[in-house]
Amino acid sequence: MVEVHEDPQLGLDSDEDDEELSDDELQEAFAKGLLKPGMNVPLIEPKKAINNVEGLKKCLAEFKRSLPWAERLDLTNLPADDLIAKAEGKAQQSEGGEDINAEDDFQREMYFYRQAQATVLLALPKLHKFKIPTKRPEDYFAEMAKTDQHMQKVRKMLLIKQAAMEKSEKAKKLREQRKYGKKVQTQVIQNRQKQKKAMLSAVKKYQKGMTDKLEFLEGDQDPKPKGPAAKKQINKKNPNAKKKYKDQRFGFGGKKKGTKWNTKDSHDDVSGFKAKMAHGKGGKGGKRGGKGGKTNKRPGKETRRKMKARK
Amino acid sequence: MAARGGKRAAERSAQIKAKRAKLNSNKTPQTERKTKTVSFTLDKEEASPNSRENIISVPPPVSAGKWTNKERVLVFSSRGISFRTRHLMQDLKTMMPHSKADTKMDRKDKLFVVNEVCEIKNCNKCIFFEAKKKQDLYMWISNVPNGPSAKFLVQNVHTLAELKMTGNCLKGSRPLLSFDPKFDTEPHYALLKELFTQIFSTPQYHPKSQPFVDHVLTFTIADHRVWFRNYQIIEEDASLVEIGPRFVLNLIKIFQGSFGGPTLYENPHYQPPNTHRRMIRLATAHRQKERQMVKEIRKEKRSEEQEVMRQDVTDDVFLTPADPKPAQIQLEAPEPQGQKKKKLSELKKKKLMKRKGLR
Repeated sequence: MVEVHEDPQLGLDSDEDDEELSDDELQEAFAKGLLKPGMNVPLIEPKKAINNVEGLKKCLAEFKRSLPWAERLDLTNLPADDLIAKAEGKAQQSEGGEDINAEDDFQREMYFYRQAQATVLLALPKLHKFKIPTKRPEDYFAEMAKTDQHMQKVRKMLLIKQAAMEKSEKAKKLREQRKYGKKVQTQVIQNRQKQKKAMLSAVKKYQKGMTDKLEFLEGDQDPKPKGPAAKKQINKKNPNAKKKYKDQRFGFGGKKKGTKWNTKDSHDDVSGFKAKMAHGKGGKGGKRGGKGGKTNKRPGKETRRKMKARK
Repeated sequence: MAARGGKRAAERSAQIKAKRAKLNSNKTPQTERKTKTVSFTLDKEEASPNSRENIISVPPPVSAGKWTNKERVLVFSSRGISFRTRHLMQDLKTMMPHSKADTKMDRKDKLFVVNEVCEIKNCNKCIFFEAKKKQDLYMWISNVPNGPSAKFLVQNVHTLAELKMTGNCLKGSRPLLSFDPKFDTEPHYALLKELFTQIFSTPQYHPKSQPFVDHVLTFTIADHRVWFRNYQIIEEDASLVEIGPRFVLNLIKIFQGSFGGPTLYENPHYQPPNTHRRMIRLATAHRQKERQMVKEIRKEKRSEEQEVMRQDVTDDVFLTPADPKPAQIQLEAPEPQGQKKKKLSELKKKKLMKRKGLR
C-alpha cells in the first residue's frame, strides 16, 4: 500500500477521514483548511513488535538463580584498550558499542578479542581468590577438545602458509633487485657513452687544430697525484685490458680477415691509445723519476737508418 | 496427528521413567561413596593370604559431595540438518560436559514434545536445532519445565574442525563467560544473558569437568545480533587464540513458556530468510525490467517517423547574386601561337653542355 506523505502540521489522519466522517463533515474540514487537495490515501500503521517489558522482567525474576560467582564465572565488561588504534593515533572512540561496524570484519573481530581480553584480565584475580586454578601443570595430561592429530594438521597448514609467504617475499625482493640492477647498468652504460662522446669530440677538436692542449686525454684522472692508487688501478685494469685486447684479436679462433680496415669507426677508435706512452710519461713508474726527458722514445727515421748502417 | 504424537510421547515417557527408577535404585549418591579396595595378583604369585601388599585402595573423587549445581542441557536436533549443523552440535557437546544428546526428532511431532523428551532425559535446559529447507538453521534455547524460551536464526557457522581455528582447550574445562555491557541495557537482553549464563557455564565440581579454567566464551551484540566466540587463554597476560565454534544468533522471539506460551518479545529487526531471498530476487527482477524498458524506449525513438526536410530554410541566407556580365561574342578566330621555348634550369643546361662538349 502506498504511504502518503502527511504534513504533520495538519494533524488529521486521512485514514479517519474516509471512513468515519460523512460528506458534510468533510466539507467543513476542507473549509477549515485541514484537508489537503488531491487524493488522500489511507495509511496503514506499521506492525508493532511485541515488547512486553513487565512480562520479561517478571519472567527473569522467576527463573533467575542466584548462584555464587564461582559457579557462573561470568563477567560483563567493555573491551580492553585498543593499543593498535592508539599507536596509530586514531581518535579514541567512545566505547558505546554502536561503533562496532558489523561489516568491517577485522574491526569486529578485534572488538570481540579485546572484550575477551578485558574479561580475562578482570577475572584472573577473582579466580585466584576462589582458588580456582588456571595454569595447567606440565605433567597433567588429559583429553583435549581437539585431537592431537587435528592439531598436527593445523600446525602443518600454518607452516605451509608461512613458507608460501616467505617465498613470495623472496620473489618480490629478487624482482626489485633485478630492476634496480638493470637501472644501474643502464646508467653506467650511458655514462660510458657520454665519456666516449666527450673524448671523441675533444680529439676531433685537437685534430682540427682548435685546441692544442692534450689535457683532455688525462681529464678523467684526478688532478691530485695519486701515485700508488693510480698504479693499483692501472694494474687492476691492465691484465683485463690485455686479455681484452687479445680476445679481440685472436678470440673465437681469431677473426683476422676484417680486422684492419681504415674506416671511419677504426679511425675514431682511440681505445688503443695510451696517452702516457705517447707523451713519454709513465713508463714503469716514470723510470724512477728523472733520467731526463726522452726515456724510451724511439729515435727518428734518419737516426735509425744511420744506426742500422753503422751495424 | 496431535493425539498420536501425544500418545507416543506419553508411552515413551512412561517406559523410560520405569527404566530410570530401576537403574537408580542401584546407585549410591556421591556423598556416600566410600574408599574402594582392589586386589590384584601378579602372574607368578598365587592368590594367597600372604600377598596382602597387592591390595590397592582407590580413594573416592576429591569433589565428592560438592557438585550441587545440577544443570543439564539437552542438545539435539530435528531431521534434515546439514553436516555443518551436525558438527556444530558435536562441538557444543564437547564444550559442555553437562550436556546430553538425543536422537533426531521427527518433524511430525509438535514442539511441546520437546519438553517431554527433556523430562525423560532429566535435563532442565535445552538447545534444539531446527533446519528448514536444508538451508535455514533455527536454534531454540529454553529452560524446560516452565521457564522462558527463545528462538534464533543461526548464521555464519564455523566449527571446531576448521583449520583456521588454531586454539585448543581441555575437554570439559570450565569456561569464563564474557558479556557485552549492552546486555544490561534492555530487559530482553538481560533475559537472554541469564539464559546463556545458565546454559553455557559448566557447574563446578561436575564429574566430567576439568578443574582448570582455560577458555573464555564471548557474547557480543552488534547489528542487533548476538555474536558468539570461543577463545583459548594462552598466557596470564591475556593473549588469546580462537578455538571455535563461532556463530551469529539473530533473535526472532522470546516466549514465556518453554517452546510455547505467550510471546514476550518480538525482534523488529528480524527479517525471515525467505523474505530476504525474495527481496534480492525482486531487486534483480526490477533491475532487469528497468533495463528492458530503457531498451524499448530507445527502439521506439529510432523507429519513429522522422521529418524529412525537403529544403533547408537557411539555404538562401548567404546567396548574393552577382552583377550580370555583358556577353562577349568573338567574331574573329584567334591567332595561332608560336611554339613556346622551354626554359631549362641551370643544372640541366650544364649537363647538356657537358654531354655536347664530350661528344
